[in-house]
Amino acid sequence: MISQLDLGDIQGNIVKAYGRFGFPVARHVFYNISSAEIGRQFVTDITPLVTTSYPWTDASTIPPVAMNIAFTYEGLRHLDVPEDTLHGFSDEFSMGMKARRDIVGDTGANHYSRWDPIWNLEERGEAQHVHMLVSINAKTEDFIEERYLQLQQILARAIAKFPEVPPPGVTQLTGHRGRGGALLDYQPSAALVDRWDKEHFGYSDGISGTFFRDCAEDPRLVIGGGKPTGKDPRTPEGWEPLEPGEFILGHADESGAYPEAPGPPLFSRNGTFLVYRKLHQNVASFNAYLEQEGARYPGGKEALAAKFAGRWRNGAPLTRFPTETEANQFVNEVTALQARVRGKTATPEERARLDELKLQFVAFDYDDDLDGTRCPFGSHTRRTNPRSGLMFAAKGGFGQRAFDTPGALSNRRRILRRGLPYGLVEDRPTDDGDHGVIMIIMNADLSRQFEFVQQQWINFGNDFRLANDKDPLLGNHGVTVEGRGAGRMVIEGDARTNTPPYFCSNMPTFVETRGGDYFFVPSMTCLRMIGLGIIDPT
Amino acid sequence: MSNIAGKAYAMNAITPMRWYTAWLNRFFFWASGRFTSFLGGLLTLSLIHYARWVILKPNQFPRLSSDQPEERLKYHYMFFFSNFNGSWDQYVDSFSSAISGGLDKFWIFNIKYPKSIPMLPFHRYITANQIWTDHYYNAYPMASSNDVKSARRVRDALLAFIPDVDRATPQEFQDKYNRLLIGLQHDLSQMDANPVVSLAASAVERRLRREQGIPVRSS
Amino acid sequence: MANKSGNAYGLTVLCPILPGLPKQAPDGMNDQTHADLLRLQLQRLGVNELSPMARVPNTYLSRLWVLDDVPFQGRPAVLEHLKSNYLVFSSNFHGELDDYLRGMWRTVEPETRAILKHCVGFDRVTDVATFIDYIKRCQVETTFYFNGSSDEPLAVQLKSLYLKQELAKFAAANQGKSAADLQAAFKAFVARVQPANLERPTWKPGAYHLDRVVLE
Repeated sequence: MISQLDLGDIQGNIVKAYGRFGFPVARHVFYNISSAEIGRQFVTDITPLVTTSYPWTDASTIPPVAMNIAFTYEGLRHLDVPEDTLHGFSDEFSMGMKARRDIVGDTGANHYSRWDPIWNLEERGEAQHVHMLVSINAKTEDFIEERYLQLQQILARAIAKFPEVPPPGVTQLTGHRGRGGALLDYQPSAALVDRWDKEHFGYSDGISGTFFRDCAEDPRLVIGGGKPTGKDPRTPEGWEPLEPGEFILGHADESGAYPEAPGPPLFSRNGTFLVYRKLHQNVASFNAYLEQEGARYPGGKEALAAKFAGRWRNGAPLTRFPTETEANQFVNEVTALQARVRGKTATPEERARLDELKLQFVAFDYDDDLDGTRCPFGSHTRRTNPRSGLMFAAKGGFGQRAFDTPGALSNRRRILRRGLPYGLVEDRPTDDGDHGVIMIIMNADLSRQFEFVQQQWINFGNDFRLANDKDPLLGNHGVTVEGRGAGRMVIEGDARTNTPPYFCSNMPTFVETRGGDYFFVPSMTCLRMIGLGIIDPT
Repeated sequence: MSNIAGKAYAMNAITPMRWYTAWLNRFFFWASGRFTSFLGGLLTLSLIHYARWVILKPNQFPRLSSDQPEERLKYHYMFFFSNFNGSWDQYVDSFSSAISGGLDKFWIFNIKYPKSIPMLPFHRYITANQIWTDHYYNAYPMASSNDVKSARRVRDALLAFIPDVDRATPQEFQDKYNRLLIGLQHDLSQMDANPVVSLAASAVERRLRREQGIPVRSS
Repeated sequence: MANKSGNAYGLTVLCPILPGLPKQAPDGMNDQTHADLLRLQLQRLGVNELSPMARVPNTYLSRLWVLDDVPFQGRPAVLEHLKSNYLVFSSNFHGELDDYLRGMWRTVEPETRAILKHCVGFDRVTDVATFIDYIKRCQVETTFYFNGSSDEPLAVQLKSLYLKQELAKFAAANQGKSAADLQAAFKAFVARVQPANLERPTWKPGAYHLDRVVLE
C-alpha cells in the first residue's frame, strides 16, 4: 500500500509542491457564483481536470498541467451547500480574511482598501464576492494558456446549458494589478527566470518543506520537514513525520484528535483550508534599507540580510554556516555538483556527496545556538519554524528542556507552503512595481495555525521574549508620526568577541498584503458531491 | 466586561469535586510546591503572571449573618484563577500539550474532567466551567510576564553598571557598555500594546476607551 | 503560607451578596436585584489607568466578578445550587494583607463602599479596622499559588519596565557614537531616568498607551 491516505481523493496541491515537479508557472483564476445551478454544472465539468495527490511514480507520469479548485465560505453558500454544513465551519473561515484583518495584521498599509480591485468590487466592504479559486500550475506558459482557454470554454458551455437562468450565472472576476498598472483577468505567477529558486529580495526560497505521515513524498524530506525527535537533527533519527491531521481534515492531528470540521464527515474528509495572500514586495525600500544599515552593520549587508531571514540569501542556514565564507563555500560546492549531475558527468560519489550536502540546508535545529548568536531569535525562519527552539529557557537562563517533546509548542503551528513569486523587478527597482509573492498556505485549522503564526510569531515577539518586535521581513511595522518606518530588530552580538547587539530601527514595511482570502479545498469526493448538489448533513 | 487587560488574560473556572477526593487534590498541590517537574514546564512556558487554585468545602463559603442561609452542597468546589498572556483559545494548545501532566494532576478528581490530551475535550471542559470577569485590572497592560521578568534583569544590571560610569575613560566605558548590552541583548526589545486577540474584545475596549475619553489606538 | 509566594500575596475574597431587591434602586431598575446591580457597577468601572484598582498601592493584577451559581456538569453529576450570590474579588499584590487593605481603604473608600453596600454585613463597616475585619471574614484560603512572574513591590516592577523601555530606546538611538559621545549621552540618560528613584520617572499603574504611560 502506498499510503494510509487515499491520495487519489486528496487534491494535488496539498501534498505536492508543484514547483518541485518542474512546474515553474501558475495562474490563479477567481469566480463569482450567482446561480447555484450553473455553478454546480461548472464544478462538475471541471472536476475531471482536477489534479490529485496520487503519486507520480516517475517523470513520464507527470502531466504538463496541474489544476486545483477551492471555495470561500460564500462560494460554498452560493453553491447551495446546506446551512447545517456551513455552520460547522470555524468563525474565521466564515468571516473571511478581510474581516480578520485586525487579527492577521492587515491594517495600515495592508488594509484591504489598498488591495487589487478584484477584492473590492462593488464597494461591498467585507462581503465576500470572490467565491471560487481555480489554480493552474504548468511547465510552460503555453500549457497554462491552453488549460485557461479550456476553462473558459467549459464555463461558456455550462452557462449555455441553462438559458432560463438570468446572466451571468458564474463570472470570471477581473482586476488583478499587473505590470504598469494593467488590470488582469487572472493572477499570474512564475519562478524568476534564470533564478528559479529566488524571490524578489534575492533570497532563495522554498527550501524548507513540511513532511507528514503517508504523504508519499520522498522519505528523505522528513529531515527538516517533519517534527524534531530530540536526537541529532543532522540524521534521519532526528526527525519523524507530523500527523496528517495537521494538514488534512478527517485524520488524527498532533493533539491526538480529529481537527474540527463541518459535517457530514464525507464533506470534510480529505479536505483542508487554504490561505491565499498576494504579498507585494517593496523592493526599493528593502534594497535601500540593506544598503544603508549594511554599511554600518559589522559584516556588511549580506550578513544583515542573513540575520533578517535566518538564512544567507544563497539559502545556507545561519546556524550551520555562521560566516559568509562558509555559506558561499557550501553553496558553491552544491551548485558545482548540481551542474555535474545535470550534465550527466557526476560520479556516484559526487551524487552521494550532493545528497549529503543538500540535507545541510534543512537538517539542523537551534540546540547549538541557544543564545541566538548565529541565528537571531527574531529572524524570519526562526520565528515561523522554531523547530525545537521554544522548549528551552527556564527562569532567566538557557539549556533546560522542560517539555516531553522537543516540538511541544511548535508541532501544532506548522503549515504547508505553496505558491510562487509574481511579477518582475525592473532594472531600477521601485516600490510600486509589479513584484511580490503569491503565498499559498494550507492547514487544517486557520486560527490555530496560520492566524496564530501570523499574529503571535510574525507581528509580535512575546514567545521569543522579544516584547513587541516583529518579523523583520513580513512584519507590519507601521510608521512613526514623522512617517518613517517603525520596525525594529535587535540582532544578537557575541560575548566571546565582545561584539555588542546591533539595533535596527526605522524599518519600513517590506511586504504588504494586496489581496487574498480563506478557501476550503474539498476532497475529490466532496467536489463531486458539491457538483451533484447532494450534500446532506441530516 | 472583559477577560482581557492589555497583554493579560483573566481565566476564572469553577469545577466541582467529590468530597472524598478533595483532600487528595490538596495533597497534589502541596507536592507540586515541592517537586518542580510540573513547575518547570509552567515556568518555561513563561506565559503566566500569577495563578491560583482554591478548594472550598461547602462550609467554607463565607457566611456573615444568621439571616444569610447556610450553603448545603454535596460537592467541594475548586476555583481556578489565572493571569496569562495570549487568549485562552490561542494558547490552550500550548498549555495542553506542554504541561499536560501537571494539568491532569490538578484537575483529575474534578467531576467529568477529561484528560488534558486530546485538547478539544479539555478546552470544552474548562470553557464550560469558565466564568467571565466583570472587571479586570492589570498594573502593566503593556507588559507580558516575560517583559516583567526581563525588566527586572535590566534594572539590576543598570544599577550595578552605573557606579562604573563616571570613573571610566571613554574607551573603558565603551567596553563596559558593550558588555552590559551583550548581557541584556534579549531584554532590549520595546514594549507596546497587545495584538488584537479577539475582535469582540477589541471592539469592547475601543468603546470603553471612547466613553472614558482615553485616546483610542489607531489601527 | 499558601496565600503567599515570596512577597506576592494572592487574596481571594467571596463576599455574600444581599438577596433580592435593594430598598432604593436607581431609576428604572426597580426590579433588579443586588447582584445584578452590583454586576452592572463592576462592568462600568473605569478601565486601565482609570480603574479604582490603579490607585490601590501594590496591586499587580486583580479582578472582580459576580458568582451566580455553581456549574452543573450534567448527569450523573448532582444538580445543586448556591443559596447566595457572591462577589468574587481576587487580587495579586505585594506585601502584607493588612497594609494592602489599609491602602485600599485610604485611596478608594468611596468606590469600595459603592460596591460592597450590596453585600451582607457591610453595614457594620465604619472604618478601616472594621473594613479589614470584614474582608478577612470573607477571605478564603488559597490551596496553591503559582507565581510565574515577580514578587517585588509594584513600584519596583513599574520602574523596571520604564527602565527597560528607556534603555532599549537609548541603545538604539546611540548606536555608532564615538566612545566620548556615548559616555556623555549615557550620563545624561542616567540623570534623566534616575534608576534608583522609584517615584519618578516611571510607568503609571494601569496605563495602556505609549503616549500616556510615563509619569515624569
